[in-house]
Amino acid sequence: MSDGELDFDAEELAMLRQLFRSEAQDALETVTARLLAGGSAKPSAEALTEMMRVTHTLKGAAGTVGLHAMVDLSHRLESALAALGREPSAWQAVTADRLVEVIDALRGYLDHVNEPSSDAAAAEIRTQIDHIARPNRRAQTEPPTFVEPPPEPVLDSASDTGPLPEPKAWLHVEPERIDTLMSSAGELLFDRTRIERRVQLLRTLARDLARTRQTLHEAIVDESATRPARSLLVEAENALAGQAALLSQTTAALLDEIEALRRTIGEVQRGLTRIRMESAKSLMTHAARTLRALRRATGVTVELRTVGEATEFDKAVAEHLVDPITQLLRNAVAHGVEPPEERAAHGKPPVATITIRARQDANSLVLEVSDDGRGIDTAALSERLVATGRWSAARARLANDADVLAALLDTGISVRGEADELAGRGVGIGLVRQTIAKLGGEVKVSSTPGKGTTFTMRLPLSTALAQAMLFKVDGQVYAIPNIHVVDTTLVEPHATTATVRHDVLPVLRLDQLLGHGAATEKKPAIVVSFAGKSLVCTVDKIVGAREIVIKPLGPLLAPLTLYAGATISGSGKVQLILDPAQLVRRAHPDAPGAALSDPVSAPMVLAGRALVVDDSRAIREAMTSMLGSEGWIVDVAEDGARALQMTRQLRYDLVVTDLEMPALGGFELIARLRKDDRFRTTPVVIITSRASPEHRRRARDLGVRALVAKPITRRKLLEALAAR
Amino acid sequence: MTELRNVIVFTVGAARYAVELRWVREVVSLGFVTNVPTAPTALGGVCNLHGAILPVLDVSVLLDGVPGLAARQGDGALVIEAEGLVCALRVDQVDHVASLYETAGAVTDATGRPLILLDPARLIRRALELVTALAEHPA
Repeated sequence: MSDGELDFDAEELAMLRQLFRSEAQDALETVTARLLAGGSAKPSAEALTEMMRVTHTLKGAAGTVGLHAMVDLSHRLESALAALGREPSAWQAVTADRLVEVIDALRGYLDHVNEPSSDAAAAEIRTQIDHIARPNRRAQTEPPTFVEPPPEPVLDSASDTGPLPEPKAWLHVEPERIDTLMSSAGELLFDRTRIERRVQLLRTLARDLARTRQTLHEAIVDESATRPARSLLVEAENALAGQAALLSQTTAALLDEIEALRRTIGEVQRGLTRIRMESAKSLMTHAARTLRALRRATGVTVELRTVGEATEFDKAVAEHLVDPITQLLRNAVAHGVEPPEERAAHGKPPVATITIRARQDANSLVLEVSDDGRGIDTAALSERLVATGRWSAARARLANDADVLAALLDTGISVRGEADELAGRGVGIGLVRQTIAKLGGEVKVSSTPGKGTTFTMRLPLSTALAQAMLFKVDGQVYAIPNIHVVDTTLVEPHATTATVRHDVLPVLRLDQLLGHGAATEKKPAIVVSFAGKSLVCTVDKIVGAREIVIKPLGPLLAPLTLYAGATISGSGKVQLILDPAQLVRRAHPDAPGAALSDPVSAPMVLAGRALVVDDSRAIREAMTSMLGSEGWIVDVAEDGARALQMTRQLRYDLVVTDLEMPALGGFELIARLRKDDRFRTTPVVIITSRASPEHRRRARDLGVRALVAKPITRRKLLEALAAR
Repeated sequence: MTELRNVIVFTVGAARYAVELRWVREVVSLGFVTNVPTAPTALGGVCNLHGAILPVLDVSVLLDGVPGLAARQGDGALVIEAEGLVCALRVDQVDHVASLYETAGAVTDATGRPLILLDPARLIRRALELVTALAEHPA
């Protein structure tokens, strides 16, 4: 059927069909949930009515967007449901499964909504539906009429295009837009941490000021001072006292404001999370489908009971919960549930029940999966732990039941000895724990022999999820917020700069800052960009991008500016998150805010980026090592010409140069640098073997900080750097 | 002579310490200890405690300036809460909960053996000072 007969242009129609698709998916989800609520038993009359109503609405919407094949199919499904409502005897044990198959087929059909309708697919589904209602041969009859909304004539393309009454003012938003906002809100958290640090610094400043005032006060009290001098000092002290008080008041006020900011950020995050909330219903519907498939595959009869379908989850969290739930269901079917005879022998109902409970308590979301099976034999499990070498016999003797059950989560070992395809030999339980830990939660298992097993998953309600780039240094994993990661690359041994997409970027040796990396190896590196500045960070190994939950470091670690927070890995290990702002600052000491966060560096540059110019490789290496151990990032050039070229690309906080060099000598280099605004006042140190008075005069004229006579020692160099 | 009730006695290296029970939130076995590069030695690392980040402190450094054994997974630790923050002290052995006697500034247990009574608030303030100092004047 062509789209030409509709009132929408192509773009509008595409959008409408997109909306229809998400609406239809929800509708089919509802029908499935209703259908599976009673296991394979016939749904209640009320459930059937609900299913028919939803299908009917689906039919109307499909007509609106011109999907006539879909109108036809939903009409047939509605008819089949109506037939089952009228003739309860038509319900057979397989009916539920058949209906699920039809709904799945419809769902598959939806995935191709924007493509030309496939008549073959439609015909296939049609046959399936007819099959369901066949026992009473009334599949083609009209569905019963509903008071609300009034039934529309079906299969009439002209009226199908009429607008549907809007049931509720829903706002459809692309999930990506919310995700963007979420990550911005996550960024706010980092920003707040930075502001907090600045305030801590102000506090320190206020303290120092108070101390200065005290010193001044003591000078005043000192009897030996002359009278006029004393009155000046008194005046100064009063002024200082006023300023110190103002500073500490301002700092206190600032702290209050940060607290307010923290609350607002929290609200924004909670609000955004709420947008992405969905009820546990779809998770449970999925579980029901999984269990149905498991039943078919194994022949084990189990019923599913669900409690707390209205409990709300963050959609992102819910998606991650599908796998753990599936795993636990498999585990219950494979290990937990006994055969009917065994159940009967223990006075249990022949059909086992698996219960999924969802609830919220205080700050967490609790999800329980329990079975009423045989329970976990802790003695056998303990034996297996010893047999497989995971536990020593001594440890097994000391362990109580709770310890043994906890080991089940850690090691993912199965009670049954033989490999079991279905539950993956218990390996899956370890994965469950990992997935939940990644979401910032924990899993517990409790079991009563003969009564059953319960897995309890506890998750944080709101999770500050962020994308991060994970990497390793000295075997430890770290993270950098992915939003600031531009690229990855390889850095040559000893390189202090790297060329990334035609830009020469400074290299920060993170492998040395965080570990004991040697500069002699080629290293993988992460290109980080923050506030317009970029740098290349060498690491031992790049792990890759992951979604992480950001945890605050707490007040004790907050002063360590290198870290912006931490996250907890799937195996429960703490991983530190590096602050991109700090990394950039270490490679670009002139980045904004550098002076404020490091007040000691203001009067005299203690460390930064240095350029060493000398034609002797040995001297270059020696200087690199000496300056490096003082915290300097060192670049080297073999002559003045190369040095000039490098200064065009990067700014340096210190230039150390030889005088006699090929191409361009030291004095010429300094003279040229002084003409460049960026290097007008940069400290320059000359290293030379010929320190004649003439050289000294020329050096002074060029504003050189010090002349160091070769051979250079660490002490001479440090003294030269400290010279004013 | 003053009697101090409800004190936990523990050892770190050769030294015996005591801390009043009211500061102790839990006695735990440490999970994986993540090293924190650039932190002062007083901070032995961080651990995951019920999903929160727990700093692990080295009592020996804080009191005597001499680093003790590095904190590792499986080590015993006292989780202390004071000065508005929670941290762990690595211990070699937790002896018992006891009553102590204070006579003229010296603290002894019931048998008269001397002990060092810890002031967790002071210990935490000292750790904060060390971390802040290092952050302001990086080595």
